[in-house]
Amino acid sequence: MEHARHVFRVLLVLLLVIVVVIVGRSFLVPKSFGMYGNYRYDNVPEQMAARPPLHGGARSCADCHDERSAVLAKGSHARVSCEVCHGPLGRHVKDGDVVAKMAIDRSPRLCGNCHRKIDGRPPKFPQVVFEKHVEGGLGPKGCLDCHDAHSPKL
Amino acid sequence: MPEITGYAFPNDIHVHWSLMIVMYPYITGFVAGSFIVTALYHLFGKNEFQPVARLSLAASFCFLLVAGLPLQLHLGHPERGLFVMITPNFTSAMAGFGILYSFYLMIVMLEVWFVWRGEIIQTARRSRGLKRAFYAALALGTYDTSPQALEIDHRAVKVLSAIGLPSACMLHGYVGFIFGGIKANPWWSTPLMPVIFLCSAAVSGIALLILVYQVTAKLGRRVIQADTVSAMARWLWFFLIITVTLELLEIIMLAYENSEEWHIISPLLTTRLQFSFISMQMIIGSLIPFILLFIVTVMNRYLHEKVRNTLTVMASLLLLLQVFSMRWNVVIGGQLLSKSFRGLRSAYEPHLFEREGILVAIVLFVLPFVILYVFDRLLPIEAPPGAHAPDPHGDAPPAAGVSPAA
Amino acid sequence: MDEMPKGNPPPEPAAQPAQAEVSRRDFLARALRASGGAFALLAGGGAIASDGERYDWEAHRWAYLIDTEKCIGCGSCVRACKAENGVPDGYFRTWVERYLISPEASHVDSPNGGMDGFPPLQTAFEPTKSFFVPKLCNHCKETPCVQVCPVGASYRTKDGVVLVDGKRCIGCGYCVQACPYGSRFISPETHTAEKCTWCYHRITKGLKPACVEVCPTATRQFGDMKREDDPVRLAIAHGRVVVLQANLLTEPQAYYLGIDMEVR
Repeated sequence: MEHARHVFRVLLVLLLVIVVVIVGRSFLVPKSFGMYGNYRYDNVPEQMAARPPLHGGARSCADCHDERSAVLAKGSHARVSCEVCHGPLGRHVKDGDVVAKMAIDRSPRLCGNCHRKIDGRPPKFPQVVFEKHVEGGLGPKGCLDCHDAHSPKL
Repeated sequence: MPEITGYAFPNDIHVHWSLMIVMYPYITGFVAGSFIVTALYHLFGKNEFQPVARLSLAASFCFLLVAGLPLQLHLGHPERGLFVMITPNFTSAMAGFGILYSFYLMIVMLEVWFVWRGEIIQTARRSRGLKRAFYAALALGTYDTSPQALEIDHRAVKVLSAIGLPSACMLHGYVGFIFGGIKANPWWSTPLMPVIFLCSAAVSGIALLILVYQVTAKLGRRVIQADTVSAMARWLWFFLIITVTLELLEIIMLAYENSEEWHIISPLLTTRLQFSFISMQMIIGSLIPFILLFIVTVMNRYLHEKVRNTLTVMASLLLLLQVFSMRWNVVIGGQLLSKSFRGLRSAYEPHLFEREGILVAIVLFVLPFVILYVFDRLLPIEAPPGAHAPDPHGDAPPAAGVSPAA
Repeated sequence: MDEMPKGNPPPEPAAQPAQAEVSRRDFLARALRASGGAFALLAGGGAIASDGERYDWEAHRWAYLIDTEKCIGCGSCVRACKAENGVPDGYFRTWVERYLISPEASHVDSPNGGMDGFPPLQTAFEPTKSFFVPKLCNHCKETPCVQVCPVGASYRTKDGVVLVDGKRCIGCGYCVQACPYGSRFISPETHTAEKCTWCYHRITKGLKPACVEVCPTATRQFGDMKREDDPVRLAIAHGRVVVLQANLLTEPQAYYLGIDMEVR
């Protein structure tokens, strides 16, 4: 075997490299990796705190605007969350303080998102062909000439 | 914004796997293909391959060094590339890459070392200073060139070839598996995919070696061995036939079964991939080389050497195109169809200058040849006359002309 | 591998869903503020979060129900999702598809994911049925995206949500390719894979995902399979629900009602 000394040498070098790689790797694995599966568990709390919730839900609006909510609750838009038309609460209130006015979009386009007649909507859902709905076209205030957005009965 | 025909899922309009992911199997294909050629000599005793055995081993090594680069360049976070080794997820085909790659790199490096060991020692013996230190370090300090030691080297090379061949096949088969194992994509999801990748790797590897062999021989003013050329042409033809058969089978099966998938793949092939699949991969890349190699193989005896060389070179060039088109059609083609099965995206065109652009792809293709050139300067690829015997020419450095990529 | 803190105790279970008794207003003020670790379950358990709120991920298994017959295609959910999660333009964590179908032909579209609602559409054929289908990540049980992630950046939590660890994701895009539903994308901003999280930052605080919160027709519903009386659980348990591309056996946890065979 004296002529195989170079073989042992190269194998030794190899072994050294493998050990260095394995040891080096173990330092680089994140601490919580593998706690519950092949992933970094710390990411779960990170995901929970990824960002503050932006949408508050309809009932959160009632905390300050209960008169509006009361009207809304009695009408046919009762199930339409305020944020559908007004946008997310988080843009209006932050940490309990009002930071910006709530967006109010009075354009027929907004109403049209739900009520313009197009293929695809359930037939029973109230929808109109804008061009035919009002004789002579929509007035200056659009849909709001006749409808109250919060209680849109005729 | 890409044009969409039909309906594509809105996130499906992006080609996330770009030109780099086309280059990646292309380059690993050369790695595996070249190694197959070495193995034909070392393992299967095909002595016609003796003149290219060292060249193909060196080529496999040089392409291997570059193989990981396109992947790295394509990552959204290249700096995290090593995570694949640090926290591998073994249910992922891609995680196997780190391990297979390192293992194969180890095997090839060992084989290179054993093949060139005698020459490393000789160079160390007759050099001085830094150069001597470098080669002495390469030789790991043992200067044993006794016949017994060289016999051990010889056996080691054989064993390493025997381990290396399946490793090379695994390395490249797994590249096919990356695509073949994606059940979401009908153009990729087939068990044939790894086999097709492997066979076309052999095609590209042999084709490349034919070219490199002829070029280096011309540059080194050496005789091009007719035996070697016709043997390589024969094997190239064989692998071409298998590859194209499998490629066609895959499509014919889909078409014949007339599955849901076929209704999106058929328009994909005839519209978006019309040029790259039908014209390039099938006609220019497969049919014409098939005919050329048919002539070389069947009428070998009647061919003038120059004609044979020209025909095989032409066929090899076209086959390099074929294999590139195949990689392109798989990688890019699979992303032009939406998983809605209802829409096709307009063709993907890489830019010239971008991280994953054409220029980088060209650099990636040229880089292994540069490395091969450096390799040749350090460890001459062309064996000195009477290899393993003390070099009669003393310390004359290898002539620049020997270098394969000058 | 061996030095991983396998032995650490799991987070202590919380007795009841987070905010039940807290006044809505207080809760919201707190929820909107809680950008830090207030609600976090801390790795290694032990420590109690500053305000005592705990979320026990073993006490829930979330599921999603989409009653397509109720969908009016208003796009509120898509807009809410974009706002809530800061989804980059041109990419979608959720979107709405419109199907116009006749026995002879079909047409599907989703202009800007349905974000701006749907314009009236003239098709070359006369549709005999038409409907909208909201789409989002199905949070599959046997999820192909987690399977293919090479670095363990994608994973499925114990409460049944498929998430991406943005700090481990290398942006290879393999999961994007592997998802049969087109739910994932590589964000041009973070260069990592992103997808619907079922608003994990909300559901772990007792809120609903933003898309469910704003859905005016209750097309989208979110529920807990571990609660026997949960309406979503009841609907899935008793109703005739389907999942998308069931043939792939990915076991989606987003269930559909009233869907047509044209929908993939």
